[in-house]
This record gives sequence, C-alpha cells and structure tokens, in this order.
Amino acid sequence: MAQDIVIQTRNLTKIYRDFWGRKKVKALNSLSMEVKKGEVFGLLGPNGSGKTTTLKLLLGLLFPTEGEVTILGKPATDVTKNEHIGYLPEESYLYRFLNAEETLDFYGKLFDIPANVRRDRAKKLIERVGLTKARRRQLKEYSKGMTRRIGLAQALINEPDLILLDEPTSGLDPIGSRDMKDLIVELKKEGKTVVMCSHLLADVQDVCDRIAILEGGELKVFGKVQELLKDTGVTQIKTSRLTDAAVKDVRDVLARHGAQVMEVDHPTANLEELFIKTVRDSAAHPGQRFVPSDKS
Amino acid sequence: MRLSFDPVAFDLVQGLATWLGVMVVLSIVAFITSLLISLATSGFSGPPQVVMHLFQAFIDLIGTSPRRCWAMTQLTFREAMRKKTMAVFALFALLFLFAGWFMSDVTADADLQVKTYVSFVLRAVSWLIPMMALLLSCWGLPEDIKARSLHTVVTKPVRRHEIVIGRVMGYIGISSLVLGVVSVVGWFWISRQLPDTMQKQMTARVPHYGSLSFISSEGKEEAQGINTGDENMYRSFIEGNTKARAIWTFTNIDPGKFSAAHPFVLESSFDAFRTYKGKIDRQLLCQYTLVNPKKNIRVTLNAFEINEYRRNTYDVVEKNPSLEDNETHKAVELKDLLADGELRVEAACRSSSQFLGMAKSDLFIRMPDRSFASSYFKCILNIFLMMVMVVVLGVAAGCFLKGPVATILSLVINGVGFFAYTFVHSLVTGEVDYHNPNVKFQGAGPFGALYRIVTHTTPGIAFEDTMFFKVINKLDEASLNVLWAVSKVFPNLEAFDTTEYTANAFDVPWDAGILPCLATTVGYCIPWLLVGYFSLSLRELESK
Ligand SMILES: Nc1ncnc2c1ncn2[C@@H]1O[C@H](COP(=O)(O)OP(=O)(O)O)[C@@H](O)[C@H]1O
Ligand SMILES: [Mg+2]
Repeated sequence: MAQDIVIQTRNLTKIYRDFWGRKKVKALNSLSMEVKKGEVFGLLGPNGSGKTTTLKLLLGLLFPTEGEVTILGKPATDVTKNEHIGYLPEESYLYRFLNAEETLDFYGKLFDIPANVRRDRAKKLIERVGLTKARRRQLKEYSKGMTRRIGLAQALINEPDLILLDEPTSGLDPIGSRDMKDLIVELKKEGKTVVMCSHLLADVQDVCDRIAILEGGELKVFGKVQELLKDTGVTQIKTSRLTDAAVKDVRDVLARHGAQVMEVDHPTANLEELFIKTVRDSAAHPGQRFVPSDKS
Repeated sequence: MRLSFDPVAFDLVQGLATWLGVMVVLSIVAFITSLLISLATSGFSGPPQVVMHLFQAFIDLIGTSPRRCWAMTQLTFREAMRKKTMAVFALFALLFLFAGWFMSDVTADADLQVKTYVSFVLRAVSWLIPMMALLLSCWGLPEDIKARSLHTVVTKPVRRHEIVIGRVMGYIGISSLVLGVVSVVGWFWISRQLPDTMQKQMTARVPHYGSLSFISSEGKEEAQGINTGDENMYRSFIEGNTKARAIWTFTNIDPGKFSAAHPFVLESSFDAFRTYKGKIDRQLLCQYTLVNPKKNIRVTLNAFEINEYRRNTYDVVEKNPSLEDNETHKAVELKDLLADGELRVEAACRSSSQFLGMAKSDLFIRMPDRSFASSYFKCILNIFLMMVMVVVLGVAAGCFLKGPVATILSLVINGVGFFAYTFVHSLVTGEVDYHNPNVKFQGAGPFGALYRIVTHTTPGIAFEDTMFFKVINKLDEASLNVLWAVSKVFPNLEAFDTTEYTANAFDVPWDAGILPCLATTVGYCIPWLLVGYFSLSLRELESK
C-alpha cells in the first residue's frame, strides 16, 4: 500500500442484527474508499445513511459483516493504532461526573502520557476550545455546545495524526462552528489528516478537500470537492459596485461574444457572516443595537 | 463458647491440583466450543481467528500499563464517590450496627454477651459489604456501555483487560474503604458496649488440637464412642466408671511456650448425657490421664466437675501440686511429659452410668492467647476476600450482561455459595446426608433417582448387580462428575464465615480459617477475570 494512504476500506459491509441474529438493517453496503495523508475528507449523507457506522467500523467499535479496514497500516481491531487517532463521537460520550480538567487528565492517562505533559496539554486545549472559565465544573452542568467542545479537546489530547470527527459542528453556535472549521483548517496545516462526517453541506464545502456521499449505505459520489462542484458551463465575474450604465456596457460586450447573461445582482452576505460580525462587534461596542427599519 | 465444627486444615497442594484439573478441563471445553462456533459462523477462516485472538490476548497481557489500569481504577472510584452510592451504604451500615444498642442483656454471662455482640457486628458487616460490592460492580460496566461513555474510552489505546482490572480494583478500593470504616466503628462499639469486667473475655484463644480416638466400655479400641440418639452425631459418648476412654493424641507441642505466666492448660467443653438425675447440685466428674507414650509415663490427674455448656479450663500444675507416675510412683515434672512434643490425654467419666460426650475440638491445649483485635480483623480480612470475589464476579458478569441480569446472576451464584454450598456439594457428590460425608448410597444421581421415582423404590433398597443397574450407575457417575464440575461455579462462601471463631473467643487459625479463603479467592477470580476479558473484547460495544 502506498505510504500516503491513511485509511483504506475494501467492500466494507455492515448488517445490524438483533439479539437472535436476525437481520435488521443493512447500514453499509460494500464501501471501498481510501483517505490520503494530510487531507480533510468529508463523509456526507442524509440521516441514517451509514456515516457513523463507517466511522465506528474504522475504529473497530463495530466488527464488519464483510470486507476489511486498514487504518494507519493496521487492522481496525488493533488497539495500538489508537495511539495516533483522535475521535470525536457523534454525541460526546463522556463521564458526566468529571470536570473538564479531570476529563482530559483521564484520557491523557489512557495514552500513557506523563503527568506534566498531560497537565500542560490539558491547559492549552481547554483554552483552545474556550472552556477556561468552566474547567472546574462537572460535565453534567455543561450545555450541549460546551460538551461538544470538551469532546473535541479530548480528541486532541494525544496530538493525533488522524482525527475522526462525527458531526463536529452539531450543537455548536455559529461562532463555535466557525471555530471548529478554523481548527480543522489549522490541523490540516499542521499536516494532520481529518475525516469528518456531516449532513451540513456548508461545513463540508468550506473545509473538505475530498468527499464521499453516502445514501442508504451506498457510496454515490467520491472525489475532490473543487472538481465535483466546478460548473464549467458558467463563468462568474466579481467586481466593485458598477453604475447602471456600466452594467449596460458590460452586457453589450458580453452579447458581442455571444455569452448569455444569467444573473446580475448585489450579493447578499450570508447569515453566518452577519451573525459572527454582530456577535464580535457587540463584544467591542456593548449596548449598541442595530434594527433595520421596515421602510428601507 | 465452643465450635460446632472441627477446624480442618486446608490442603493447599490438593486444592491446587483440583483447581488445575478444573481449569484444564474448562479451558479445553471453552477452546473446542469457540472453535466450533467460529467454524459455524465464519467458516474455515474462523478457527485461525480464534487462535489469533488467544495470541492477541497474550500480547495484551504483556503490554499491560499500570498507568492505564490506575486511570480506570481512579475513574471507578470517583464515579462511586461522586454518585454517592457508597455514602448511602456506609450510612446504612453504620445505622444497622447501632441497632445493636437494643441487644444488651445485663443478666447474661460475660462470654455469651461478647459472643452476641461480636457475631452481630461481624454478621452484619459480612452481609452488608458484599451486598454493596455486588450492586456497585454489577451496574458499573453495563451502565458505561449503555451511556456509551465506554465508546470514547476504547478508542484510546486502553486494552480491554485493563478496563476489567481497573473496574475491579476501583470497586475493591471503594468497598474496602467502607469496610474499613464500618469494621473499625464496629470494633469500638463492641469494646465500648462491654463493661470493664467483661473486657477480659475479649480474647483470642489459640487451641492446639489433637486427634481423637476411643476405647469402648469393654476396653476395645474404637473410632467412635457411643451414640446416645443424636442422628447427626457430632459428639460421641463414653460411659462413666467403665473402661471407656476418649483419647486425644497431641503432637508438635512446643514445651518452651509454657511458663508461670502461660501455664499448661487443658481446655474442654464436654456434653453430659444423664441416664438418671443424680445429685442435682453436683455436675458430672471427669478425669484426665496424661501419657508420654515414648517414655511410657502415665500420670492420672485429679478429677474435676465439668461445667456443662461452658469452658472448663484445667491448669494442670495448679490443680495438681505434685505429679507422680501411676506405676513407679516416682515424681514427674510436666516438662518430662511434654519433652518429646507428643502427649496423650485420656479422658474418663467418673460418674457411674452417666455419659460424657466429646468431639475432636472439645479438648485442646490452650496456647498463649492472641489479642482479640487480631482475631476480629482476621474475620474482616475474610469478609474482604469474600467482597473481592463478589466484585470480580459482578464485573465479569457486567462484561456480557446488562445491569439487572448481571445482578440477578451474581445474587444467585453468591447466594448459593453463601447459604447452600454444602448442600449443593452433597447433591453433586451423591451424598445423602450432607452432615456426614461418609454416607453414600446407590442411585443418588439423576438416573438412579429417576428409576427410584418411577418404580417407587426407597433409597434403602440396594440396586441388584445386573447389567441394567450397572449402566444406571455408570450414567449416574458420569452425570455427577459433570454436575460436580458445574457446581464449581458456586464459590464456597460458607468457608469465609469465620465469625464463629472470633465470637467464641478463638483465634482464627491460619490453616483452617484464612488459607482456604485466600486460595479460594485466587482460584475463583482468575477464571472469572478471563471470562470478563474475553467477553469484553469479543463483543461490539453497541448497546442493543
Ligand atoms: N446499533 C444499531 N442497531 C441497529 N441499527 C442501527 C444501529 N446503529 C445504527 N443503525 C442503523 O444503521 C443505519 C445507519 O446509521 P448511522 O450510521 O448512524 O447513520 P448516520 O450516522 O449516517 O446518520 C440507520 O438505518 C440506523 O438505524
Ligand atoms: Mg451519525
């Protein structure tokens, strides 16, 4: 196998059975794919399409009905592979009676990390996920988003080379999910491999290099995001604001080249950007309020 | 203040041999079963996978990291502390102990009062603590799996057996904490409860036992004395003023242990059986003869009145200012009698037509006492060992069962082991009378019993020596062997109750009271830990 392939699956199939061994659901059907070192890989699909099942198979939490997994050059059931893997489960399945510091310390110990390194890393990670103020509170008092953040910190405690994120932005506020996306990009810059699954297309589009789309347990699309989305039949031009006359001139020029103008408009900022700008500004100018009047 | 049983020294070698035998048979059965299952489920690639798993288990074991185990232990401990389960239990246990306030009975004799208090406290602790350990340990892992918090844990490089070990250690830690608190409180409570005059009853006698044989009224040697009608015949009787004797042979006596401070004392507690009322204010008379068999010295001592149902301490030197040999009438020193480390004590009844009943442990040489605390805390040690077994079984059951089911399984296994081990043992060994292991009869197995039910024959009628009955006997033997192996699932928790020693002011002997419990604990825990490890590593952690 090539050096730069981190994950490879071959005909991966998972059938959930009930207690008596009767077939219940075919959650994954003959999935073959690979993830390359250093990329951000997105696993997309509607609810129940088998994304979580795939991640669990990769981690050896579930045993495949058929097919095999090689992850970091080892079979999925080999625990030693976990040394270099960070995993953020779909919901943060953590111990609710521990506080943030204890949580990170506990997982750090499971990696056999010495005490002083553990303490250092825990402190930095708690800062990075923005939980410094709440670090001594038990997780049962945390909101969903805060739990998500500590879940992420826990996934990074061993400075993993491969990070598996299951719906990383679910439950996060827009700032949180922007932070999460920034973090993913950062991790990529550090040369780490990230596999994330999500049904939020915007998230995936923003950060992923390559994607796979699953539907009903079957792989439907697989490839580079840029290539998959590039619509070669359309050209887009962005300029500073044009006067009506200038627009008319441009139309004429385009008409001469035989091009058909499909749309001329002022772009609307997306809501995410507005939200983030508002929240960040309100921190800078407390007490200000912006309410657009109905007339405009 | 006497025991209702003979302390039997534990035979470590024999125990180890039996254990190894059972383990080998079990592993072979398990191995073959898993090979067959793997063959049925995954075809010819199955058996190599089984071997791979075994190999992997070995690798896992070698790679055990104390830090990871400790992390799991700490987690378990914290969980129990933060969820306050054990606080509730500790409180409950303490309250229970104080229920004993209402037990005091000023009229009772000192030794009986000590007995009441000590047995109450120890029994209460030996019930409550294992019960707490059982509930804690049966729920921990299943809950962890159900809440999927274990998902996050197993995606770290932690080995499955480290999870099992961590859980076990954590529950042992937390239960020990509670046990420690409760037992220390109990100890103070006992000593506060007793008035100063009774304090000296709180002691730990160290008996040196001998072997017992009898001489009948006609002067013949016998293994047993006379049965006065007790069907369970633990004690047998000798008749007064006949040739009947009960003879104890003591070996390995260390004469250096006795001095003015620790006189040579024979302590006894015999039963009396009267054929007529006699003088109502007079007790039966008993007389000892001390014999040094090697030097052929015989010294008959002064007779004494026995105190029925009480301890009779007989200080040889005090009661017999001078000793002389029965035949030569030469003066004899106690030292001479004990010099070879071997001594025979012949007890005779000196009341005509009355009977004295005796069992092996009814007469002993009393060695210097140990402290009551040592005896008390040895009982606590055994309760601790019992708790360890309960925890291991609970955690192992939680590895493959859900909380409620694991609890029921643990309750059944420990319950049978605690209350009915002897009974089950007698069933699977085909003994009719489980008080008396020597009585065996034909047709005690399932097939013989079925035959007797169908044909309405009573167990008293022996089977004829025909082919049919031979087959039945063989089938019984085979099925009893299988049942015997299966019955080893039940731990012998009856042996862990050494309260009777402490309550009766005896020291808990190492060879009969502690070693068997230690050996049982180790022997019982190892296979269950393996069961726990394998079921946790072979299962998907998806809760269904
Ligand atoms: N433990 C389980 N038992 C039975 N069916 C399951 C189990 N987990 C998931 N499934 C089924 O498998 C399919 C895929 O689930 P999942 O991988 O969780 O989807 P996704 O993460 O893409 O939303 C679904 O139909 C789901 O109902
Ligand atoms: Mg999912």
